[in-house]
Amino acid sequence: MSSASKPMILELSGACFSYGNNGHVVDNLAFSVGEGEFIGLLGANGSGKSTILKLGSGILRPSAGKIMLWGKQLQSYRNKDRAKLISYLPQTLDISVPFTIRELVGMGLYPYDIPPAITPDEALGMVGLTDKADAHITDLSGGEKRRTFIAMTLLQGAGLLLLDEPLANLDIKYQIELVRLLRTLREQRNISVVMALHDINIGLQFDKVMLIKNGGILGFGRPEDVLTESSIMDAFDIEVKILRQTDGKAYVSYQENYRK
Amino acid sequence: MKINFFLIVLIFLAVLAISLFLGPTPINPLALDGTTREILISIRAPRIAVAVLMGMALGASGAVLQGILRNPLADPYILGISSGASLTAAIGIIGGVTIFGTFSIPVFAFAGAVLTGGIVGVMGWKRGGLWPERLLLAGVGLSFLFSALLMLIMSVSRDEGIRRAMLWIFGDLSMSDWERVPYGVLFVFGGVAISLWRAKALNALILGDEFAHSLGFAPHTERVLLFISVGLMTAASVSLGGMIGFIGLLIPHIARFFIGSDNRLLVPASALGGGALLCAADLIARSALPPMELPAGIITAIIGAPYFLYLLRRKNVLSV
Repeated sequence: MSSASKPMILELSGACFSYGNNGHVVDNLAFSVGEGEFIGLLGANGSGKSTILKLGSGILRPSAGKIMLWGKQLQSYRNKDRAKLISYLPQTLDISVPFTIRELVGMGLYPYDIPPAITPDEALGMVGLTDKADAHITDLSGGEKRRTFIAMTLLQGAGLLLLDEPLANLDIKYQIELVRLLRTLREQRNISVVMALHDINIGLQFDKVMLIKNGGILGFGRPEDVLTESSIMDAFDIEVKILRQTDGKAYVSYQENYRK
Repeated sequence: MKINFFLIVLIFLAVLAISLFLGPTPINPLALDGTTREILISIRAPRIAVAVLMGMALGASGAVLQGILRNPLADPYILGISSGASLTAAIGIIGGVTIFGTFSIPVFAFAGAVLTGGIVGVMGWKRGGLWPERLLLAGVGLSFLFSALLMLIMSVSRDEGIRRAMLWIFGDLSMSDWERVPYGVLFVFGGVAISLWRAKALNALILGDEFAHSLGFAPHTERVLLFISVGLMTAASVSLGGMIGFIGLLIPHIARFFIGSDNRLLVPASALGGGALLCAADLIARSALPPMELPAGIITAIIGAPYFLYLLRRKNVLSV
């Protein structure tokens, strides 16, 4: 998939960030996200995946470098205007107050003075939660919680979704369901998705992946180019073999022996 | 949910009417004479107004605080604001301060509350914002310190002031008069108005700062605004009539059973519920064993807590 002709939604150039005085967590980062792109971020724990997503969403401000949203400095947007363009979902969704699903999804309308055409119930329909509208968030499974917040972002109308490990703690079945849902939504609404991943095998199914190590980009492009046995060794410090099924689908096999 | 809210409004109005016309001596509003009119306007009405204002402040600030601290156990007193107010009020009562006339003790208490709120805010501030855990721990720490200082003052003074200070600390509505109402209205309605104005932001803050940011709010600014509104309401409540337990902690939970968790309804419902409960408790406190008056704060807990425990068992609220 070539993305060169499509307009860039988010563009980072020379972005640096550190949490304290112990060196840069993210160093001189440069990449861009085009319309309708589906990008997976891969890297070991602490490599800077979350930090990159937080920089992209404006939660963290870069200490140096530029972040542009639709050609305009991200920090120059009013909060509400930015919220109509970018939606960020954190990794942990621990919500102790028993909001109903409809109440939560409806919060996606907060940036708007005049509600957009889509209603909370329609958004719930798109993520398959119509029959849970009146349930409490505290009673839902992990997968349903994720879908609730995806419905919220639909209502928010943001064209760019930045998701921090949305597949964490989900059963494989729900991981696949969620990725499929996001792909369907991309086809219907042309949204772009950048998500941190922890499973290399899921990354292999993406159109585009970014491999990150120590806050820098090791590779960015098609998974078959970026995810090689040597780059994975470099990023994750594990030995893998990349194998192919008869239908051509690639997968990694971890070579570590757990029984040793 | 909207119907339930309407019911809460009705209950609130009914409690007001009952408190006004029942009581140790029932008054028929259709047959007022000079004495009963005087009792109604000069004694009962201001007392009811003060009770309602205090209860509203505690209920609303409890709901807001549970949201900004993301903690269902938070109540307006946990921030130490009431301990600070009690300390300065006790100093004023025992020291016999009269510089502001009948307003002396309320002014002292309000100053103590605002000062304490300010200290908690400073202690809770780090890296350009207020942090829930820091606020909570700073509040608990200051609370212990001020309670200890209060005990120290009480144990070294001997006169009659101690008894009055004790009465005040446990919530005393018998001193209520019209003079206190205007400033109570100002701060309580001001605080409720700020909370309602920022209710969407409060909902978003409950999901976490990152969610709030993503939904278009500046989490630190919103928390400061809401913290100020809680501080003003709590300070006004404590200075109007001392400390009243239960309302700030449990009224928001009871309101949540009936109208859900959306703060646009929860804050006003908690305010009305708090006002109604304290008003009803005060009615019982002054009518149960006449001519003796019981402290209203004790009654709120005695009638409120069993009801709360019943709801806790009947409805599944393991999530809160």
